[in-house]
Amino acid sequence: MITVEEQLKKEPVVWYRVVIAIISLIVIFYVGTLTIEFKGVNQKGLEIAINIMKGIFHPSIELITDLSKNGLLYMLLETIAIAFLGTIIGMVLALPLAFLSSRSITPKAVNRTGLLAISAIRAFPSFVYGIMFIKVTGPGPFAGVLTMSVTSIGMLAKLMIESIEDLDHGVVEALDAAGCSTIQKIRYGIIPQLSSNIISIVIYRFDVNIKQASILGIVGAGGIGASLIFAISGMRWREVGAMLLGLIIVVLIFEYISSIIRSKLATGE
Amino acid sequence: MIKIIKNIFLPDTFTLSNGKVVKEKFNWGPYITIIVIILVAICSVITKIDIPLFIKRSYHFTTMIQAMIPPNWSFMSTMAKPMIATIMMSLIGTIVAAVLALPISFYCSSNPAFKLNKQYLTVHRTWLGLIRTLPVLIYAKLIALIFGSGTLSGTIAIAIFTFPICIKMMYEHIETVDMGPYEAMLSTGAGRIKSLRCSVFPQVKGYYYSTVLYNFEMNVRSAAILGYVGAGGIGVLINTQLTWRAYGNTGLMLFVLVITVIIIESTSRYLRKKLV
Repeated sequence: MITVEEQLKKEPVVWYRVVIAIISLIVIFYVGTLTIEFKGVNQKGLEIAINIMKGIFHPSIELITDLSKNGLLYMLLETIAIAFLGTIIGMVLALPLAFLSSRSITPKAVNRTGLLAISAIRAFPSFVYGIMFIKVTGPGPFAGVLTMSVTSIGMLAKLMIESIEDLDHGVVEALDAAGCSTIQKIRYGIIPQLSSNIISIVIYRFDVNIKQASILGIVGAGGIGASLIFAISGMRWREVGAMLLGLIIVVLIFEYISSIIRSKLATGE
Repeated sequence: MIKIIKNIFLPDTFTLSNGKVVKEKFNWGPYITIIVIILVAICSVITKIDIPLFIKRSYHFTTMIQAMIPPNWSFMSTMAKPMIATIMMSLIGTIVAAVLALPISFYCSSNPAFKLNKQYLTVHRTWLGLIRTLPVLIYAKLIALIFGSGTLSGTIAIAIFTFPICIKMMYEHIETVDMGPYEAMLSTGAGRIKSLRCSVFPQVKGYYYSTVLYNFEMNVRSAAILGYVGAGGIGVLINTQLTWRAYGNTGLMLFVLVITVIIIESTSRYLRKKLV
């Protein structure tokens, strides 16, 4: 007969883990206070916070209804276009890289180099690419497209590698046994297995890219970012409100559509 | 020839030897391809794509990279402090967000054992989703106006942005957890919080730590650009050095950043593999 007390005594002793966790948290926060300086709330801080809220609830109607190139709708369209083209070009660049760095296809030396290259591409902040591409193309949405396509490579390739490594080799072997040529094996053995995964990865990245493209404007690479930051710096809160609202709505719409498409792809519809 | 083109867009029919007609499955592929090509064309007009210009001037890209090599090592002393600040910003921001997110994620999961009603869940998930829609840089810009520019604003921005992501990742996981132990503990007379802590938390613990690590990894990368809007960290330095065309210094900063990110990434990947 096991009593409750006996069972309780058998419980592993874990108090030292809690102590270690607390000590390391204290150390982290102590080092943090050395580097993160607290200057106190800006004098106008509260007023600004209230103004931001007011602006979001009273967005500037003139900006929303302005259909010219300075209007909200065109800026959003440009942002979406940058994200879309960036994702497509990123996919084209990421696919070969993903195949090269999958463990199940290439020898170890090749896939290690590929993975390192992907990590290195990912590690640079997007703004640095933005500034570099502006040197090439001049400020404008074209630089944004190039930046988006390079920054998408990392994540796209990483997710693609996972689905490539999950490929079922039995299918290819069966096609081999049936006497198919290499092209036929790729067409009927590999593409049907990969396509839905890759499409869903690309759609997911497109979602992320819309958010990314909306801030690229800060370095002058097109999209809504530049006007948004200028409006915030200029404290034109009603314009800020309109832009934030537009951005939120666009992101939500695309998130909704992409979640529908991705769940259909996942269930194999 | 016409038949081949027709077969691409419309399903082919075969008549078998016994007279049975077999129809191919309808294929959306070609239609989607055409739509994507049209969209690409429209978008390249909007974004003023100019391939010849890119090819003609692409040497600017390589000359800039060449100017960064070799990096200017003497700049190390200047950049050490902002670099540490960048890491600390993301570390503290992530920890604060993760600690706050844990209890709330329990009350956002649609686990039947918690008996939370649908409307309540929808309301909370919606406002958390709304926070997630805006990029972290915009929060940083707004918060820098309120709290003054500096690393504090960056930390708060990171915390605000990480909070809903942590909650989303956690509640999706909590929904899959085995609720038997929780109900067993409730039936022995333990309170709700105690039963959550002792029966549900041990099951999600590994995933929780791995979520925190993952978010930290993401945040180090995004903290590096927060400086552009005055929210502290290495971004300020990268920005000024690039505008002064001090490519040697920029090269060093990027080099250190890449190494740091890769080290953090591989450590976190190793730890996460152990945890889950």
